[in-house]
Amino acid sequence: MSAGTPPLSTPPKPQAKALNCPQCGAAITLRALGHAETVVCESCHSILDAKDPNLQILQKFEAVTGEVRPLIPLGTRGKLRGTDYEVIGFQRRSITVEGIRYSWHEYVLFNPYKAIRYLTEYNGHWNDISVCKELPIVQFAAANYLGEIYKHFQSSDATTNFVLGEFPWQVRVGEHAAVTEYVKPPRVLSAEKSANEVTWSLGEYMYGADIWKSFNLPGAPPEAVGVYENQPSPVSENVKGIWGAFLAFAIFLVVLMAGFDLISNKGTAFESTYLLNSGEPKGEASFVTQPFDLAGRTSNVEVTTSANVSNSWIYLNYALINQDTGQAWDFGREVSYYSGYDSDGSWTEGSQKDSVVIPSVPAGHYYLRIEPEVDPNHRPISYSVEAKRNVTVPGFFGIAFLALLLPAIAITWRSISFERARWSESDHPPMLIQLGNSEE
Amino acid sequence: MFRKVYLAYGFLVLGGTGFAQYQGWSLDRINQLKNVPKSVRDNPGSYRSVYGFYHHYTGGK
Amino acid sequence: MTQPVSNCPNCGAKIVFQWSSSVQTVCQYCKSILVRTDVDLKRVGQVADLPPDSSPIQLNTEGIYRNKAFVVGGRILYEYDQGGWNEWHFTMNDGTSGWLSDAQNEYAISFVSNTTGLPTAGQVKVGQQYTWNNQSYTVSVITPAHYRGVEGELPFQYWDKTDVTFADLRSQTGKFATLDFSGDQPALYLGEFVEFDDLKLKNLRSFEGW
Repeated sequence: MSAGTPPLSTPPKPQAKALNCPQCGAAITLRALGHAETVVCESCHSILDAKDPNLQILQKFEAVTGEVRPLIPLGTRGKLRGTDYEVIGFQRRSITVEGIRYSWHEYVLFNPYKAIRYLTEYNGHWNDISVCKELPIVQFAAANYLGEIYKHFQSSDATTNFVLGEFPWQVRVGEHAAVTEYVKPPRVLSAEKSANEVTWSLGEYMYGADIWKSFNLPGAPPEAVGVYENQPSPVSENVKGIWGAFLAFAIFLVVLMAGFDLISNKGTAFESTYLLNSGEPKGEASFVTQPFDLAGRTSNVEVTTSANVSNSWIYLNYALINQDTGQAWDFGREVSYYSGYDSDGSWTEGSQKDSVVIPSVPAGHYYLRIEPEVDPNHRPISYSVEAKRNVTVPGFFGIAFLALLLPAIAITWRSISFERARWSESDHPPMLIQLGNSEE
Repeated sequence: MFRKVYLAYGFLVLGGTGFAQYQGWSLDRINQLKNVPKSVRDNPGSYRSVYGFYHHYTGGK
Repeated sequence: MTQPVSNCPNCGAKIVFQWSSSVQTVCQYCKSILVRTDVDLKRVGQVADLPPDSSPIQLNTEGIYRNKAFVVGGRILYEYDQGGWNEWHFTMNDGTSGWLSDAQNEYAISFVSNTTGLPTAGQVKVGQQYTWNNQSYTVSVITPAHYRGVEGELPFQYWDKTDVTFADLRSQTGKFATLDFSGDQPALYLGEFVEFDDLKLKNLRSFEGW
């Protein structure tokens, strides 16, 4: 061993002085310090001279560090991924995008036996970061790291504007690096390039609540504002699955409807045609039909009215009456049809046919009581009445289809909105869909 | 998680639809009356439809 | 180190400052407020503190690399303008000598390579690619550094305070290489990054509080 080699030195011991009262020499304790402008000695109640050199150290320190306070105080220990870490350093960095400055905080986590980790915090969003041992492959607008593709999110120039404590290298205010970030939520891959160095790191999104638990911090973490670049989406993974389920349900629905159609339609139970000449009805308009049977289990009855009205109407008061039980279903239907020509061409309004479905009619012997109403000056109207037993109601299946569709649309919309919010902060913002507003 | 909820919901919707159709329900609103006398067959004018005619108030003050 | 330790001037008990530049602490025993007088307040907020020499490895630390046992015999502590790192020299039980570098607890094992046709210090640039032994390496850091101190047994005797260029290279598969321009000829060391736990190190330095 060459005699000229210097021995490895140990760091010097820190010099500490006690804050003592200049009057009586008693030690000033934490209680007496408080947050007041003046410090009072608890023993003799004299006020400490502001020029006391030790007090001045404290005040100068506060002046220099008061503006930026680390959310996790330096020296705090916590457990991340099963390992204990101590926060030994803190810096605030910022980038300027389109004239607006965005700042975030970085914390250095230390454990004597593990590699250094970092925590970053921006607007309540946290990331757990470590340096990559393998180099990612940079492709066009993306990076491939360990087989996973990360999409380019942002390129910017980051500058340090405040630093406390220890860093693996001696960070200085004003230090800057070109930062390029690629995301694949919940992870972010970032490259920091300065004159003589390029470093790749991998970050994983963390929620403030978990940080607070890990480091046993009092109070609540700051609320996360907006969507962060690698924030995991609460809905995205579900979207594909739900549309698959919707498709399956929709097919099932069609099969169900077809099934009912096949086994149900019991055909026409009653049909008849009537004629109302001009001037009719005279006197009592109501009449009853021949009795007919409604067979099978309790199901519905569709009553269809067809009338050859042209530019006129007919209103029918119906009652479907059970001959034996005296139970009646009471309803009125209007059939009206109008047509003509105007400046836009020919038009029509209404229909010459009307259908209504009577629900839950038990089997039995029935007749219809019919009471027509017409315009007193009507032309002869011929109308027919048909009763069909056990029809499928398309409305139910239509409602079911919508009921299945809406949640799938809602979830997809939420996912799309979330991703748009994420990418709106990037170098590749999504196109605006709003009408009227110019690009911000 | 959403998927499970949606699946359960979907089965409920399908079940409900099948049930409605099987029970013979309808989307139209029909009024029901009881104890219509057999004399209505001979005298249809005597049938009193309580709600059928009027969809608006026709009584006195 | 990270949490500077001293003694209370009033009662002599051990006091600890929470972090490297913390100026205030309270003595647990006499409750006096203690103020640190050797912190350069002009640097607080402006410059980070020098990273501590906190390598858990020490002379005679033992470990296993690729199923071969090794013992640490010597160390070189390098220093550059913003910090430093350690190069621990070890010998394996079959006589091979290698280097375990510890840069803020990022570990890499490398062995001297006799590849020829190496670039000169002026030729290397960050981002440049080289292929040695069928493996592609990309230059990731270029550091002018010098010796800060040595310890134990080393395969060479050298002490010069002048700055020398070192270039670190990485690969897509976690391989590591260093170009050392301290001698007349450039020297190349090839190896890979390793996880602390995989080295199964024994006889490590102990740290108070960990």
